[in-house]
Amino acid sequence: MSEIKTFEIDFGKVHSERMRLNVGPQHPSTHGVLRLEVELEGEIVTEVVPHIGYLHRCFEKHAENMTYPQVIPYIDRMDYIAAMNNELPYVMGMEKLLDIKVNERIEYIRVICAELNRIANHQLAVATFGLDSGAFTPFLFLFRDREMIITLFERLSGGRLLYNYFWIGGLMHEVPPNFEEDCRAIIKQVRATNAETMNLLIYNKIFIERTANVGILPADVAVNFACSGPVIRGSGVPYDIRKTEPYSIYDRFDFNVCVGRGEVGTVGDCWDRNIVRMEEMEESCKIIEQALEQMPKEPCDVREFVPKRIKPPKGEFYSKAENPKGELGFYIISDGGLKPTRVRSRATSFVNLSVLPEISKGYMVADLIMILGSLDIVLGEIDR
Amino acid sequence: MKYFKDIWTSLYTIFVGLKITGFHLFEKKVTMQYPDLVHPIKDNLIPLNSRNRIEVDMNRCDGCGSCARACPVNCIEVDLVKVTPGDDIPLFYDGKPRKTWVTKYNLDFAKCCFCSLCIEACPTQANRMTQEFEYAEYDRNNLLYMMSPLTPEEAEVKKKMWADYSAAKKKADAEAKAAAEAKAAAEAKANEADKQ
Repeated sequence: MSEIKTFEIDFGKVHSERMRLNVGPQHPSTHGVLRLEVELEGEIVTEVVPHIGYLHRCFEKHAENMTYPQVIPYIDRMDYIAAMNNELPYVMGMEKLLDIKVNERIEYIRVICAELNRIANHQLAVATFGLDSGAFTPFLFLFRDREMIITLFERLSGGRLLYNYFWIGGLMHEVPPNFEEDCRAIIKQVRATNAETMNLLIYNKIFIERTANVGILPADVAVNFACSGPVIRGSGVPYDIRKTEPYSIYDRFDFNVCVGRGEVGTVGDCWDRNIVRMEEMEESCKIIEQALEQMPKEPCDVREFVPKRIKPPKGEFYSKAENPKGELGFYIISDGGLKPTRVRSRATSFVNLSVLPEISKGYMVADLIMILGSLDIVLGEIDR
Repeated sequence: MKYFKDIWTSLYTIFVGLKITGFHLFEKKVTMQYPDLVHPIKDNLIPLNSRNRIEVDMNRCDGCGSCARACPVNCIEVDLVKVTPGDDIPLFYDGKPRKTWVTKYNLDFAKCCFCSLCIEACPTQANRMTQEFEYAEYDRNNLLYMMSPLTPEEAEVKKKMWADYSAAKKKADAEAKAAAEAKAAAEAKANEADKQ
């Protein structure tokens, strides 16, 4: 038997130092391959540095070697949750440059597809946000409904997530015959599940305790960081491009811009950003219902205005649209040839992520995950 | 007071959630035990225009290469050679004799991005997207589909045949041209001699 050792511990000189911790890049809570370099004081976050670039696919360089229609499959792969919304600003801008006027029905189909995809995106955002906070059941219900939308899109375009459906000057296919009934069935199901999710997740006391008064983003900071989408609307700024600068045919619909009101906490906390997404799903349902009523019923030739050779005149343009995650814009420079000289995209998630180091200081590590989840980022769009 | 109220709301909202999930126990199942029970194709759950494996009908393909130019990821390689006159001429899909041999049609499915731009570009509707989605392979090289009706050896033979034929034709043409020129020169000389 060895003798019992005794240690002299001086509790008066407890040495404390800040710890640097890596969250990600392979972590389920970072929503992709994002690496967060976190500096911790005990369990309090003092500094966050997001490191990006693990999913970089050279979209902008690739686009310089593509003809204009070939760029669209690459745009799908930017924000792969809402590919229809991604295609919309590019296609609208190209039509403006080529001076093509598509007919009414195509515009309505585009709006319906974009709004359906917005619902699908918000369902996934709310579902994964619940998953981050430890609620697994709403995730299953919301994914079940998202499957309906994806199945409809598969019947429209053939792809489940990456559609290549909006073409410059038209659409890929005409909609299937029972499109309208399917849309109405989806709206009905979305509303039913939203009502359930409100009780199951949003007004759950545990969820409120996790998210209210966490990650407060004041309105002036949100404006200074050029945030957009539910992130800025959660801070109480009613900025929605569909309302402020209506594109396509959005000026014909009656819908509200949802803003955070600080119902259970402070304006601009994680709970507000989440409730804005829940309310926007309802607004999207309203837009789809109005569009289905106003839409011309006669099927038309959706490829009537699709040019054989797309050769836009010399020029440059910026076109933007309201993505589910915020403002998505494309700046395209044409030198009059078959290929664009430069395609620059203003990626929404990239700009929204930049506010994370600002708002996550002083919270716990577990709150950092909630703040990141409430920003609803997609790494495919950040790295492009 | 707030302490007890918080405990009450926590318990209450938990039971509200449990009630909702409890009712879902008795609903119809939406999940499918995919490989064992229901095959999606049998149930017509795969739409007709869904974009899966590409099928190329080589009877229709004339090797124009429109699909290769339309592809954003360059996964198609097409090469062709003209049919030598006198060779056994294969028939095209519409019964007309073929003008070209497609010596190479390589479709690399490891690269394909399923955008279906090649389908839209084809002037003869040779390729189409099928509903077939189970084509996983253990070896990546098996995903390179070589669709050409000719084996590489046969392709070499056809290429050599056309090269020999065109060389011979070129030579014959050159000879004929030289002969015609010589004849014309001789005639011109004779004409000049006649004039004098």
